[in-house]
Amino acid sequence: MNKNERKNVLVKSGRIIDPEKGKEFISDIYIKEGILAEMRENIKAKGKELTEIDAKGCIVCPGFVDMHVHLRDPGFEDEETIESGALSAVKGGITTVACMPNTNPPIDSESMVKYILEKSQRAACKVLPVAAMTRGLKGTDITDMGLLAEAGAVGFSDDGRCISDSRLMYEVMRYSTQFGLPLVLHEEDCYVSGGGLVNEGCYSAMLGLDGISSLSDDVIIARDIILAGRSRAKIHITHVSTRGGVEMIKKAREGGLDITCDVTPHHLFFNDSYLASFNTNLKVKPPIRSEEDRLALIEGVKGGVIDAIASDHAPHLDTEKNTTFRLAEFGTIGLETLFSAAFSKLCREEKISLLKLISLITTSPAKILGIDAGKIEVGKTANIAVIDTEAEEEIKREDFVSKSKNSAFIGQKLWGKVICTISGGELVYINK
Amino acid sequence: MIEKAHILNEDDIDRVVRRISHEILERNKGPESLVFIGIQKRGVPLADRIAKNIEKFEGTEIKAGKLDITFYRDDIGHNIKPNARITDISFDIEGKNVILVDDVLYTGRTVRAALDAIIDFGRPRSIQLVVLIDRGHRELPIRADYVGKNLPTSITESVEVKLKETDGLDRVTVVEKG
Amino acid sequence: MLSKKSILDANSLSLEDIKLILSNADSFLEISRRDVKKVPTLRGKTVINLFFEPSTRTRTSFEIAAKRLSADIINFSPLDSSLKKGESIIDTIKTILSMKVDLIVIRHSDSGTVRMVDGFVNIPVINAGDGKHQHPTQALLDLYTIKKRFGKFEGLKAAIVGDFLNSRVARSNMNLFEKMGMDVTVVSPTMFLPEDFSGMKVKHCIDDVIEDADIIYILRMQFERQDRKFYPSVMEYNRFLGLDMERLKRMKPGSIVMHPGPVNRGIEITDEVMDTSGKLAEKIVIEEQVTFGVAVRMAILYLILG
Repeated sequence: MNKNERKNVLVKSGRIIDPEKGKEFISDIYIKEGILAEMRENIKAKGKELTEIDAKGCIVCPGFVDMHVHLRDPGFEDEETIESGALSAVKGGITTVACMPNTNPPIDSESMVKYILEKSQRAACKVLPVAAMTRGLKGTDITDMGLLAEAGAVGFSDDGRCISDSRLMYEVMRYSTQFGLPLVLHEEDCYVSGGGLVNEGCYSAMLGLDGISSLSDDVIIARDIILAGRSRAKIHITHVSTRGGVEMIKKAREGGLDITCDVTPHHLFFNDSYLASFNTNLKVKPPIRSEEDRLALIEGVKGGVIDAIASDHAPHLDTEKNTTFRLAEFGTIGLETLFSAAFSKLCREEKISLLKLISLITTSPAKILGIDAGKIEVGKTANIAVIDTEAEEEIKREDFVSKSKNSAFIGQKLWGKVICTISGGELVYINK
Repeated sequence: MIEKAHILNEDDIDRVVRRISHEILERNKGPESLVFIGIQKRGVPLADRIAKNIEKFEGTEIKAGKLDITFYRDDIGHNIKPNARITDISFDIEGKNVILVDDVLYTGRTVRAALDAIIDFGRPRSIQLVVLIDRGHRELPIRADYVGKNLPTSITESVEVKLKETDGLDRVTVVEKG
Repeated sequence: MLSKKSILDANSLSLEDIKLILSNADSFLEISRRDVKKVPTLRGKTVINLFFEPSTRTRTSFEIAAKRLSADIINFSPLDSSLKKGESIIDTIKTILSMKVDLIVIRHSDSGTVRMVDGFVNIPVINAGDGKHQHPTQALLDLYTIKKRFGKFEGLKAAIVGDFLNSRVARSNMNLFEKMGMDVTVVSPTMFLPEDFSGMKVKHCIDDVIEDADIIYILRMQFERQDRKFYPSVMEYNRFLGLDMERLKRMKPGSIVMHPGPVNRGIEITDEVMDTSGKLAEKIVIEEQVTFGVAVRMAILYLILG
């Protein structure tokens, strides 16, 4: 397919889901030279180099925004690169990702922010850097937050680590208010989590695996809610996994705090009983927790406490996962299953509306990051995903585009297959 | 304060100033090497008047400066101090005949302080003292070279000098300190 | 005469005292311009410069001021004396008092120490800087500098730029500037501001004040100090708070740049600005502040001991 064929696309008869306007309707979409030129029924477009997509029976939504992704670039290019990660994203219908700073070197300097943005120009989807809160993510020295914000960071995070020095966390929060960017917080009390591997509960005891108590998340969430209240920082709790966490966030928001949060598809999907197989792809941080916690997360989505769904895409080499449970690295990939896993669990099973789900992976994360994304707008550059929600398929290792294959969903049957993705006005993925 | 006697009026002061101006010229054999320093605050306009007279009589420019002696007083720590006024002696006094001018000579302490200050500015050839009124009661061995009027007074009295430049009119009176 | 014998902090100086000091400073400035820079006013008085914290500028300034007034001034730096051996501050003060001195000028690294000393002695005490608390004579000389340049205070816009929280100069200056009717904005990042700064006018970037201010007052920034550990880096400081040529050029006509000294070149002010000549250099009054500092300290000593 040549460039013109990629930039001139006619998507026919799809069911448009527009979460910004809260509307669903059947329409054609005509993308001309990368711009969403027309959106109405029965568009007659002609051109020698025009790609037609038959979207009958499919949904057409804004390209997804995954606000928590690890692209491992620079430093761990064997696991993933910005290029491969972007290709993995568009296969999942994602057109914007926010990548985390725990690379090597970490994204804690202006030059690293610029590196990411520069690579993003040539990647299949838009990649936006989240910069580190502390140098080297060591939790002791604050980064040049002003310079990083000016260079183009969309937020700050020490994800993977947690700042245990409360005074420092407070000063980070206060300083962040000067720049208006959100702090994406990985909440873990390292003293509580210690060398834990799975959720502390009856399963961890039964399996003989050291546990990570839900206290680990909750203690820090409580602390950060208090600190945010005083400092008036904009905080976002990422990968919420506990009932306690959901309750505290709900209460804090009712109290007027500017707090948002996201959950991962795997935390919505699994509970700790699944760990009985010792499947290392289910070894994640925060751990897959109890059914009680999982149900609380579902309720959180239904009740509007949960603002977004983000994959926490964490690529690892086979060598890092094919080992004893204790030695295996934490993490699962998730870009390619972001929609299908969330859709299968939330819409098909829990009967949450499609419009609601789409908003959790488009307009809502876009708003949290303060970026212009997740919309279907005539006259703007097109970012679209076309998905067949009636297609079901078994997730297979060989099908993954990501360099790493450590998916928690291997072997699961998921609904919702991405037919094609248009990112930055170009058709970057089409399912053969 | 009760006004006791009217000593000099405007015309009297004018005559006195003119007479002193001539005396200075006579004694110093001309205006060369003369510089004037008026002690703040009423010595200043007096010095200016004499200097202008000499300029008029002789046709040469005469330099006149201002001296505030607040920092040279010997009663530091004993009195409430007024704000110091400006000192402006922008000419060289080295080798000159300095004509020091004040309105009233009383205990002599003000003049002693002025002598100390002038020596800090350089080494004049001579310092000659002009006063409008000498009221006696010296406490230090100081004497004036040129006197407008000798006026014996008692310690309970005070000599009040008013000049146009500072007070709006020319007048010297004796008052009883009440 | 001043209403109180000691000068401990800027906020307890009365308006009359401030005006008295400023008006007398003019006379003392004139003395410093003479050939013989001495008057016998404080002859026979003994002043102790009691500096527990190192200082060259302030100590020397007080020394010159006292000597020009013919007072005897002794420098007592406990760094090199028995205080190192563990003698307490009070014992040091007692020793000094037994020598029958007339005035103590004191600088200490702990806030409030000067007040403690003042309560213990019955001779005048001048605060030359106590910890992070106050530096009143600096504020007075800064006011005098402003008076000489602008002739007035009312309505002038001053911006104090840098570490506000840990700076005694900032605190004293803010007290006096506001007392004299100036409009003060603090330009400081969150880590150098009190938790609740709702009572102050605050900005976080020097660009927000540079074109509007009549006075840009730059504070010293030392990264080595423990209480500065939260601030990220010199580069971040340069970008948001530093004075460079580009910003100097945008300052309005007649505006001035002040600094208590010494300047950390390349941190709060660039080399280019410090070394500039010509019209723009006239804006930088740092050297004048030092000259005026002697005159103001002479006025203070005179008004207390005279």
